[in-house]
Amino acid sequence: MSLSIALTKGRLEKKTVEMLAKSGYGIEKLQDKGRALVFPDTQKDIQYFLAKPNDVITYVEHGVADIGIVGKDTLMEGGKDYYELLDLNTGICSFILAGMPDNNPLEKVGHIKIGTKYPNVTAEYFHAKGMEPEIIKIDGSVELGPVLGLCDGIVDIMETGTTLKENGLVVFDTVCRISARAIVNKVSFKLKRDEINAFLNDLKEARD
Amino acid sequence: MNQIRIPQGMRDLISEECEKKEALKNRIENVFRSYGYRQLKTPAIEYLETYTNAYGDVKDEEMYKFFDQEGKTLALRTDMTVPIARMCASKFANAKPPFRFRYSSDVFKVRHTFAGQRSEVTDCGIELIGCDSKADLEVLCTALDTMQAIGAEDYVLEIGNSEFFRSACSAVALSEEESSQLAQLIDRKSLVELQEYLQTLKIDAGAVSFFAQLPMLGGREEVLDRAEEVSFNAALKEEVKTLRNLYRDLKALGYEKHISFDFGKVPHLDYYTGIIFEGYVGNVGASVLSGGRYDSLLNKFGRDLPACGFSVKLDALIDILPKEEQKITKIYYPRGREAEALQKAKQLREKGAVELIEAEGKEIEVKA
Repeated sequence: MSLSIALTKGRLEKKTVEMLAKSGYGIEKLQDKGRALVFPDTQKDIQYFLAKPNDVITYVEHGVADIGIVGKDTLMEGGKDYYELLDLNTGICSFILAGMPDNNPLEKVGHIKIGTKYPNVTAEYFHAKGMEPEIIKIDGSVELGPVLGLCDGIVDIMETGTTLKENGLVVFDTVCRISARAIVNKVSFKLKRDEINAFLNDLKEARD
Repeated sequence: MNQIRIPQGMRDLISEECEKKEALKNRIENVFRSYGYRQLKTPAIEYLETYTNAYGDVKDEEMYKFFDQEGKTLALRTDMTVPIARMCASKFANAKPPFRFRYSSDVFKVRHTFAGQRSEVTDCGIELIGCDSKADLEVLCTALDTMQAIGAEDYVLEIGNSEFFRSACSAVALSEEESSQLAQLIDRKSLVELQEYLQTLKIDAGAVSFFAQLPMLGGREEVLDRAEEVSFNAALKEEVKTLRNLYRDLKALGYEKHISFDFGKVPHLDYYTGIIFEGYVGNVGASVLSGGRYDSLLNKFGRDLPACGFSVKLDALIDILPKEEQKITKIYYPRGREAEALQKAKQLREKGAVELIEAEGKEIEVKA
């Protein structure tokens, strides 16, 4: 049975395509894509399409895609109605709590304000510590929040830490590690178990 | 005001969809009837308390709630099993089990905004009350015949056993909180987090490897052998044997082509007490039939009876079913000859549907 696979556009797409190439998949069309949105594999009965991270989850949950490759950060913030079967060990970064050096939210007495693109992740992190901050949703350049005094700290993704440093922010805590994951539609996994397992095994071999 | 919107998650169904849904419902109900199930209806509105009484972890953010005149909280029903358990314990308090109930009712759950999910769906199902696990075979046959009646080309009924997981948890003395966390990770097949979580538990390496393998312990008949291999005590082997016996009987009845197993199926641990099963068809992204054994539910309403049942989500299936052919004869008539046209239609209606249409011209015209 044919497989439909949703890849997260951008950096993750490149890394996944590299892994697939290594495993002998026919991904030429993905490497040389004009404006097309759907790309058939030239070797196997598979079609790929590219989507934004949140949409990868939506496509998989609805069963339009059998498999999705997406970052753990998106999974933690979004829905949960899928199987999460593989850590691709690529696209690695982490969720961190950061702020101005003299204002550690974890040590602050009283009301705390945290700015973030990831309100669910933030709430869960503080909840586990028995704390209940006010969460302010910010869509971009989250680092600005503490600098301008909008909030005491931020929860955000950190790859190298350069942006934080340049804005005078320090990391107070690591919330968790993030990497790319393979998620699978629940029904697809029942009806196309062999095809899906074969695909995941190939990715696993390319990873290790 | 020009009010044309409907609430989130609700849908209008137009003729073709209704006809498909109705035809599907009839096919399914025929199966239920053929097993001797009797129809019943319960109110769309229940006390919220009925649900909190039934489920330990009722998700009240998923319920439509409002108040009655006395300030008591009401809820739109979210399933039919709980109302039936409530009713069975009161209205059937003096009746002798077993009871075979069937229903076809709309149930309501508040769904995420813009997630493409329905908040109102029709559940069509059965409950067999008063029979212990010896009746599981019959319920599974009913479910398999129901899947067949749906009419999808390709379908699978996947069977699990919640006791397999529960028995393993108690063998290694996991707390209730640990078991429920573990059950969630296994049921969602979150393999990465499961590994991490297992490392934090104080259980031996054998048990860690057992739980780590559970999510992938699924597939056709051969998975029964694998399940037996990983079983680390006699109680677990016994649970595998239960499924093996069911499989043997289902095979003898000719159903084996459509059966698979998943030992990593452990949803709602505070609810299911034995077999759990789900039906899948191609091109539908979620299970279309789900059910299992819930022997402790009725006791929460004061009548201790074992029970097993399942329901089909009709709405999920409408899109994959072919159109129902509707034959409607049309009579075209000129203005002023309505009575004649109706007379003509009256004769024809004995054979089928007739639609009257006013038209230009002088004669009455019949078009099949």
